[in-house]
Amino acid sequence: MEILKLDVAKFPEIEDTIELTNPKRNDEVEDCDDQQKQQLATQEDEEEDELRKLLLSDIGELPISPPSATQVNFVSYFITDFTKSGHDQYIYRHANGLCVIGLAPTHIAFKDEGGITSVDFNVGKSDRSVLKVSGKRKKNALRSESNTALCKVSTAKDTYIVRCCVKGSLLEVNERLIKQPELLNSTADREGYIAIIMPRPADWTKNKESLITLEEYKEKKEMSL
Amino acid sequence: MSGEKEPVAVESAGLPNGLVSHGNSKTRRVYETARSLHTGAVKDLLSLGVCERCIFRLVSVEAFDSDISSVSTSTLRSWLKSGDDETSASESSCSTICIVCLGILQFVFSDVKKELVKSDSSSDYVARITDLVKQDRHEFDSFGLEVSVPSTIMENERALLSYLKGKYSTEVWLQRDKISVKDALKVLLLDQLKASLGAESDSSSFHIRLTYTKASDEAQGASETTHESKRRKTDAENGSNCISENSFEKVYEPCIFSVHCNRMPIFFSGRYFKYSRNVSQSRWIIDDERMGEASVEEILGGNILPACLGDSYKFHAAGREDIDVRMLGSGRPFLIEVQNSRQLPSEQSLKEVEEKINKSEKKLVGVKDLKCIGSQCWAMMREGEAEKQKQYVALVWISRPLEEKDFNSISCLKELKILQKTPVRVLHRRSPLDREKIIHWMKVEKIKGHSHYFLLHLCTQAGTYIKEFVHGDLGRTTPSMGSILGCRAEIIQLDVTDVKMGDP
Repeated sequence: MEILKLDVAKFPEIEDTIELTNPKRNDEVEDCDDQQKQQLATQEDEEEDELRKLLLSDIGELPISPPSATQVNFVSYFITDFTKSGHDQYIYRHANGLCVIGLAPTHIAFKDEGGITSVDFNVGKSDRSVLKVSGKRKKNALRSESNTALCKVSTAKDTYIVRCCVKGSLLEVNERLIKQPELLNSTADREGYIAIIMPRPADWTKNKESLITLEEYKEKKEMSL
Repeated sequence: MSGEKEPVAVESAGLPNGLVSHGNSKTRRVYETARSLHTGAVKDLLSLGVCERCIFRLVSVEAFDSDISSVSTSTLRSWLKSGDDETSASESSCSTICIVCLGILQFVFSDVKKELVKSDSSSDYVARITDLVKQDRHEFDSFGLEVSVPSTIMENERALLSYLKGKYSTEVWLQRDKISVKDALKVLLLDQLKASLGAESDSSSFHIRLTYTKASDEAQGASETTHESKRRKTDAENGSNCISENSFEKVYEPCIFSVHCNRMPIFFSGRYFKYSRNVSQSRWIIDDERMGEASVEEILGGNILPACLGDSYKFHAAGREDIDVRMLGSGRPFLIEVQNSRQLPSEQSLKEVEEKINKSEKKLVGVKDLKCIGSQCWAMMREGEAEKQKQYVALVWISRPLEEKDFNSISCLKELKILQKTPVRVLHRRSPLDREKIIHWMKVEKIKGHSHYFLLHLCTQAGTYIKEFVHGDLGRTTPSMGSILGCRAEIIQLDVTDVKMGDP
């Protein structure tokens, strides 16, 4: 989460920005007499007011469109024309080292009419979608090389192999894509991710040499238009 | 009538020691015990270099009790020695360290500066211990006394008992269990320590530990003793001569003695608040660099520890929240465990600690209900079981304007079940699992002038990943706020507003 780091300041007008649509009802305390009820109600009101002030106190300027969780939590890398022309993929790397692998917006499959219509994880020696990685030490994870196949994505016209791009342990593939391949067409950069890989620190250093940054990717995109 | 003269002589001998009248009766009991000991064995042990109090331990049929502490070492020796014909042999070992207790029951030891210290009576010894205890500045009204002695002492005693059984096998006093050096020392010191410290003795939370460690060459001495014992067995006829010769050869070194005071941990409970989004709960250092500005642990512990004059503390909390999440509402329960506190803070000083934390200029952390408690509270602190429900307020952005129907569609969801894959942000260190969690209720508050933003109030099962419930974690949490509203959702910031425990 990107936290808006603003100095705490009291805005008198902020009180007005809140409209409570479902006011809380104080719990009934039947056994208390009226005075005790009043005291309890007063105390609860005071506590609630205090909490409300705290909640409002650091709502500062709100941008029209904040950065997404993906943008905040990951550094974006890309690899283009990986083994074949137009086979562009992204590698989002989390601060903890995990890499999320998916199709870049410029991937050739998106140019086919109707987009991607199916995803098949049954590639290589084993179906990637039936691997069950377990435990903190990630037992049963498939060791991946950068050119290890993850899945095949098919359009009406052709089929394309998607690869790991980085060396590491394959922790997860996005099984939802089997039933909902259209996620790749609409949100390939988020819900349409393909896999999560855990490189070792030393492997990442080597992996990185083959990748380009978001800025480099944008430049390349501009040039190709 | 010659027998009548001896008691009179002893009484006059006792008087120079300044014993009071009731002490006299104790002194007489000890004297009578001394005179009743087996003469041959006493003479034998004295010539070997066994000390007076060990002789009482090992040869007496009477129980070893605290009366003996009223008699000084030199007086005991004169009583055991009187009637001996070989006074020269006995006197020659007068200042020798005991071959069994290595000086512990003679009140002889090396102090931490390796200087030899001797006390003739237990009262001198107790005074020294009392001074050392008071230097540590503990407050206590009762204490537990612990004694730690080198294992060579048990070996020495076994060797000597083996020798005695070989030589005096038919004697009644040999058949009795012997009080250990450790227990004998406690018997000698405890009553006087209670008096000089002004405290009772019990299984207290406060311990005084007397630690004796052997000088570096004691291992050699132990083996020599064992060897000597064997030789005595095989050559009984020349036993006396061998003993005399060997006692001259051997020099035992006294133990190194130290006193340690320790109080069992005391616990403080309370609830803390975290008002900053740059303060971690526990101290957080990565590659020697601090993450965040401070930690709750250090702020609370750093204020409570000085009030206790303790050595160190540990912080335990009922669950945790991320560094960028505030802890508001009723606060989160915590414990501070203080090691070796020298004073128990009063309620007043705890109020002052609270006030100091709460009125801190930066207002990073708050605290309430701070109190000192026993250790039975641990049941509350089992982290996996402690939290039941948590309430939050999240500032949420959505990619389309909030609509009136959204209020109803969100607030009517009760006990919503969600499925969360282990979030990417913790997947590197957690098991990959699908966890079902419950969102008990949700409520939306509009923010005027910002149609894409709202405050989401929600109450969830503890352990729910709230950030991921809002943004969906790449679709790995279903349903999420985004999927419920049919658009993209992002969480801007998060506050915890209540933590409900298993107990009321």
